[in-house]
Amino acid sequence: MSAAGKLFRHKDPFDTSGTNGLFLQAVRENCEYQFRHNENYRRMLLARGFTPEMLREYDDMAKLPFLPTLLFKKHELYTMPKWRMLIKATSSGTGGQFSRIGFEWGGLWNGAHMVLRVIGRRRLFSAVPCNYVVFGYKPHRSNHTAVTKTAFGATLFTPSLHRTYALQYKDGKYSADLDAVAEAIQKYAESRFPLRFMGFPSYTYFAMRLLDERGISLKLPENSKIMLGGGWKQFWREAVDKQAFYDMARKVFGVEDRDIVEFYGAVEHPILYCDCERHHFHIPVYSRVIIRDPVTLEPLPNGKAGLVNLISPMVRATPILSVMTDDLGILHDAEECGCGIHSPYLEILGRVGLKEIRTCAAGAAELLKGGAE
Amino acid sequence: MILFDGKLYQTSEQTRLLEEMEKRVTFTLAHGRLSPDTVIEAIDRLGRMLREGELDEFIVRSGLSELADRMKGSLSLLSREYLLHKMKTELGEGFFEPGETRAVAGLRGVRTLPMPLGTLFHIAAGNMEALPAYTVVEGLLTGNVNILKLPQADSGFTVTALAKLIEIEPSLTDYIYVFDTPSSDIAAMRKMAEMADGIVVWGGDAAVRSVRAMASPGVKLIEWGHRLSFAYISGGWSDQTRELSALAEHIIATEQLLCSSCQTIFIDTDSMEELEEFCRGFLPVLQKARDARPITDIGAAAEITLKRYTASLEAAMTGSAASSREFSGRMCGLTICEDSAPELSEMFGRPLVKRLPRERIPAELRAKKGYLQTAGLLCPAGERGALTELLIRCGVNRVTTAGHMSAGFSGESHDGEYSLRRYVRIANAEGAD
Repeated sequence: MSAAGKLFRHKDPFDTSGTNGLFLQAVRENCEYQFRHNENYRRMLLARGFTPEMLREYDDMAKLPFLPTLLFKKHELYTMPKWRMLIKATSSGTGGQFSRIGFEWGGLWNGAHMVLRVIGRRRLFSAVPCNYVVFGYKPHRSNHTAVTKTAFGATLFTPSLHRTYALQYKDGKYSADLDAVAEAIQKYAESRFPLRFMGFPSYTYFAMRLLDERGISLKLPENSKIMLGGGWKQFWREAVDKQAFYDMARKVFGVEDRDIVEFYGAVEHPILYCDCERHHFHIPVYSRVIIRDPVTLEPLPNGKAGLVNLISPMVRATPILSVMTDDLGILHDAEECGCGIHSPYLEILGRVGLKEIRTCAAGAAELLKGGAE
Repeated sequence: MILFDGKLYQTSEQTRLLEEMEKRVTFTLAHGRLSPDTVIEAIDRLGRMLREGELDEFIVRSGLSELADRMKGSLSLLSREYLLHKMKTELGEGFFEPGETRAVAGLRGVRTLPMPLGTLFHIAAGNMEALPAYTVVEGLLTGNVNILKLPQADSGFTVTALAKLIEIEPSLTDYIYVFDTPSSDIAAMRKMAEMADGIVVWGGDAAVRSVRAMASPGVKLIEWGHRLSFAYISGGWSDQTRELSALAEHIIATEQLLCSSCQTIFIDTDSMEELEEFCRGFLPVLQKARDARPITDIGAAAEITLKRYTASLEAAMTGSAASSREFSGRMCGLTICEDSAPELSEMFGRPLVKRLPRERIPAELRAKKGYLQTAGLLCPAGERGALTELLIRCGVNRVTTAGHMSAGFSGESHDGEYSLRRYVRIANAEGAD
């Protein structure tokens, strides 16, 4: 079995320190494969003076050239021919561009083991059937986004009675119908089976606020859960802090903080990050994170903010072995959390970049602020 | 946040308020009258309160201290003196006073009645924090009803400042409407556009294009698109060191983000060796300016680093030979290019360096007509007059010394025109005295 296969079947999903050797070996195998089969990847590595055999020690992984997610948005960089890829997924394409990532059978099989371990550890599997409200897209054959696939996947953690989607596909586009969702929630609240929510935090919050504004306060069935994924970024205008979210969930649904679970992931790094009971994203064994200096790109110690570089040997069909996201983040020591998980945790601070490129003459004085004239 | 009828509303009320707005705007246009004096008085008062610290507590409460600090240098824009001077330069003295045309045979006395254009729909860019408020002020000075669509990146400053202005002068209530509609909400944008006599759009080509597509043929478009600026260096002038430092400081201080920022440095030569010689001399000057003003925003720094890193990987992938030559410093640099076109640089302290012998100025600049703004001119004193005229003839609208490319002054033209003139109309009426 390949090193990646062993890694993804490792018992404890947070035993990062115990799997460093295995991880390095899996990265080297993946890197060798990409180097051999992907001409673009080989050229990029060689241009930066790197070859797979330079991966000798664990710390050598920091020297492996990473590919920015931007590159997958601009180019198709598949390593395998398209017929070998079972799934082609795209990112949600904030701002119109999206990454195209292909997954082969072996990579998906690795992913399946990971999901079982991570979800199992958070006790999200159950034999008790649930009703599901998905604050996301109803699957449609024209929709390849990973966020749609994972949201649907989350409704398979238990047998499902009904699924209601907030975003429905009508006349060639998706539109949100929160009123219909609010109605469905009130109906499911009467059921004797638990209700589970899955999807974008923003829509979930909008729906809670809608109910709250109508003076509705529910007590959802025991073991109901709110699962969140897909990020806040498109809705920065309405973004609320997490505590306000938890308070609202308690008030409107009677759902406690411990029954709220958040996921993090990206199509270019398809590792399932699931928060701990204190809502921190600890690094699972399938992944390593390097925070890099925003100017020099050198690795930074824990506690310092920088660019988030994610490494995982899960997939071979696309060279997403080491990717650089356009997120800024901090890696914290495990002890800062104290939940008992021994791997460090990742805090995402936001996207890189200016709020909007500024370009105009009329108010130059504002930028100059009496300095350089 | 929405500002409507002098009050703040949640974004979710947008549809209802838009329904109500048309009737209100029509009523204001039919019956209201806003004199420039009232507007100037109110703005002057706001400026005075800011200068004298009367609003300090309010600013802290609104979470705008950092911004207020940054804008201290621009407070003179909010003075009666500045605004009166602006009105006078752009429109002429007593513009809004009715006049009479010369008697025409067969017509009873014809009067000229200068009027506001009517309703202006401003689509502001996220350029500078003060820009959305500034464009509304221009609309108010000319007596228009103003509907403002905020840029996505608005910090909350605009609504706060305009609400304060209404508090100072309640008669402005019916002349200021602010919405935080995202540009993707086409239905709402169209609704606002339908109410407008003029659409004032700030932003890049994409913003201008989408407004052109949305506007009905009857509406007047006032487009303040992005512009390109450059420095032109013709050797042999005196005081080289000081002028080059001033250019470097301008490049770093504006981060090349303004329309007036130098993007390309043209050298009056045909020789590539001369460009290299220039870069060897100028890089240390640029580095000194950068070291004095490091990029503090890590998000911005990260974005530049990523963009450059990605470009280097792409070059490796395609195996393309570099058509440019780089002189790299730390968070700044110079790139020599083969061609001679004015062009947007990577910004953030990385201007392009190109050859442009003066006899080729007309052809190269005309190719970018409609996009040119400022030329920072470094040349011997004896040639300044002739070179200035050549640049202006070829479409440049401002020629300055190297350090003053982005300097603003009262009464300056905006991309070649006086903006206030675009916001008014002149009616004629026969026998209406």
